[in-house]
Amino acid sequence: MSGVAGAGRAVAPRSVDLSVKLGRLTLANPILTASGTFGYGDEYAHVVDLERLGAVVTKTVTVHPRVGNAPVRIAETPSGMLNSIGLENVGIERYAREKLPKLRSLGATVIVSVGGETARELARLVESLADERGIAGFEINFSCPNVARGGARYWAAPRRLERTVRLLRGLTRHPLIAKLSPDVTSIADTAIACEQGGADALTAVNTFVGMAIDLEHARPKLARRTGGLSGPAIRPLALARCAEAVAAVRIPVIGSGGIMSGRDALEFIAIGAAAVQVGTASFVRPRASEEVLDEMRAWLAAHGYRRLADFRGAATEGGGGRPAPRGKTRAGARGLREEP
Amino acid sequence: MTPVAIPTRATLDHYRPAWRQVTARITRHLDHGAGHRWLDLEMPAGFARPAAGQFVQLLHEPPSPVLLPRPMSVAGVTTRRGRHTVGFLYAPVGAGTRALAALEPGDQVEVLGPLGRGYPLDAPGTPVLVAGGRGVAPLLFAADELAARGRRTEFVFGARTRGLLVGVSEAKTRLAGIGGRMHVATDDGSRGRRGNVLDALQALAPRLDGPLVLHACGPHGMLKAVALWALENGHSAHLAMESVMACGTGVCRGCPLPRSAESSGRFRRERADAPSLYGNVEYAMCCTEGPVFAAGDLDWSRVT
Repeated sequence: MSGVAGAGRAVAPRSVDLSVKLGRLTLANPILTASGTFGYGDEYAHVVDLERLGAVVTKTVTVHPRVGNAPVRIAETPSGMLNSIGLENVGIERYAREKLPKLRSLGATVIVSVGGETARELARLVESLADERGIAGFEINFSCPNVARGGARYWAAPRRLERTVRLLRGLTRHPLIAKLSPDVTSIADTAIACEQGGADALTAVNTFVGMAIDLEHARPKLARRTGGLSGPAIRPLALARCAEAVAAVRIPVIGSGGIMSGRDALEFIAIGAAAVQVGTASFVRPRASEEVLDEMRAWLAAHGYRRLADFRGAATEGGGGRPAPRGKTRAGARGLREEP
Repeated sequence: MTPVAIPTRATLDHYRPAWRQVTARITRHLDHGAGHRWLDLEMPAGFARPAAGQFVQLLHEPPSPVLLPRPMSVAGVTTRRGRHTVGFLYAPVGAGTRALAALEPGDQVEVLGPLGRGYPLDAPGTPVLVAGGRGVAPLLFAADELAARGRRTEFVFGARTRGLLVGVSEAKTRLAGIGGRMHVATDDGSRGRRGNVLDALQALAPRLDGPLVLHACGPHGMLKAVALWALENGHSAHLAMESVMACGTGVCRGCPLPRSAESSGRFRRERADAPSLYGNVEYAMCCTEGPVFAAGDLDWSRVT
C-alpha cells in the first residue's frame, strides 16, 4: 500500500486496536450511532449487533414525552436530507422503565442523549438517571435546530453553555459529552465554553439549518419551514467545523456529519477526532454503523496501522501525514486557529 | 349525520419488525402502459412474503443517484419453492424512479422489507377494492390474495382519463376467476361511468350485501372522501396512505399522520404497550402503524 507516510506493512484486521478513551470512558472502538438516527437502539437490534459498536447514542430524551412537529418533517436534497422531527420522544420515565433495561440486556454501551429547554431541565434529566445501571455517559443535545425553545440558537451562547455544563458536572460522575451546533459564529468559542464547564468530550457537529422549497405550491417543503441538513452533503462542512473544534480544545472531539463509509469516518479521525458518529447512513442502510466499523478496521490494517491512535491526527497541521504522536499537537491547533 | 360505530383496529397489536435488507435481482422490467413500468424482483431466501398493502424500501446499488431509499408498494408476489418474486407497478416521475426505470433484468437492487401493515383482507364483509390512478398497485395484489381465498370481490377503479387506467385488464382477469366485477369511472367519461371513484362506489354499494369492507389506495383527497363516506354509512374502510419517508422502519420519525380523537384516546389508554416504533398520542407513523389505516384512525381534516 502506498500514499500514507509512516504506515508499515499490512497487518491482520483483527489485530488493529481501535479502542478510544473519552475522558474516563473507554470504548472498544470509535463508532457511535448519532442520536436520533438509531432510535433507542432496540429497534435495529435484529439486524445490528449492538455489542460490537463503540456506543449507541440513543434518541434525545426530554423530561416530558414530546409528540414532535407537524408533518411534513422530511425532505430529500442533493446528497442529503432535511429533517424537522422536533425531538419527538417517549419522555424520561418511559425511557428509564422500558428502554434502558432493554439496552442493558442487548449488551449495548449506552450514551444517553438528553435535551432540555433550560439548564434546570437538563439537570433534572441527569439527576433522575444518576442511579440507573447501564449508562456509560450522557450526550447533552445543545444543538437541535427544530424546536422553538431550548434549541441550537438558545445554546449558542458560550457563557450559558459553560454555566450549564458546570451545573451538570456537579450532578454526575458519568462522562458528559456536549453536542455542538455548526450554525454558530465560532465553534471554537462554544467548544472552549463546554471544556471550561467540565465536559469530558464534544460531538461536532449536529445538523446544519437548511431549507427546501416546493415550487409548485410555492411553500417550504417542511411544515416548520426549516430543518436540519444531514448526509454526505454536509461532510466537508462538518469536517471543517470538527477540525476547528479539535484545534480549540484538549478534550476529545467526536466527529459527525455525513459519514457513510469507513473512509469517511477516517477523514474525521485524520483531522484529530477521537471517534465518530454514524447518522443518516443508518436510514439508508440500517447496518451502516457496523459496516463503517469493518471498513475502518480493514483500511487501517491494509495500511499497516496496528492502532487507531497511530493514525489519529495524521492530517492535522503539524501531523504532516505521519502518525501523530500521542496526545494533542498544539502546533497544529494554533495553526488552525490562526487561519484568516 | 347519524352516529355510527366507528370501525377501527381492536388494539394496538404489537409490531415485531420482520424486515431484512437484502440484495435482489431484477428478473423482469417492462413497460406497462400509460408511462408505467412493471418490475419483478427475485428475493433471496429468508425474505418474508409481503402482505397486500405492505411496502419495501428500494435502494440502488452504489453509486445511487439519490440518497434515500424509495418506498414502493407491492403489486404482486409469486412464490416458488419458498422463494418470492415481488412485483411493483410504478411511474418514473422522480429522480429515484427514473433511475430505477433504466435498470435491466440481471441488475441488482437493495430491498428493505417487508414494511408496515397491510390490508385486513380477512375482515368479515363484502370486500370492495377502490383504486385511484396508479394507486391501483397494492390493490392488484389484494385482488390476487382475495382470489386465492376464493372471496368474491368488487373492484372500483377511477382515473382522470382512460389512458391512466393502468393495469385494468389484469385486474379484470384476476376478478373473473372469483366472479368479481370491475367498475370503472373516469373524470372525462372516456371509459366507464363519468365521475370519480366515490360516485361509482355510491352507485354500486346498494347492490351489494353489506357491510362492505373497503380497501383503498390513491391520492389523499380520494382516500379522505372514501373514508368519510364509509364512516357515514357504517362500512369499514382501510386506506393505504403515502408520506415522505426516510428510514421506513419507525426509527427516523419522519412520516407522521394526524390521529383521530378516538385513536388518540385509545393510544393514551394503551400507551404502555404501544411499541416505540409506533407514533405517539397525536401522530401515527405511516411506516409502522400504516401505511394502511382504518378510516376511524386518522383526523381527515388535518390530512394533507
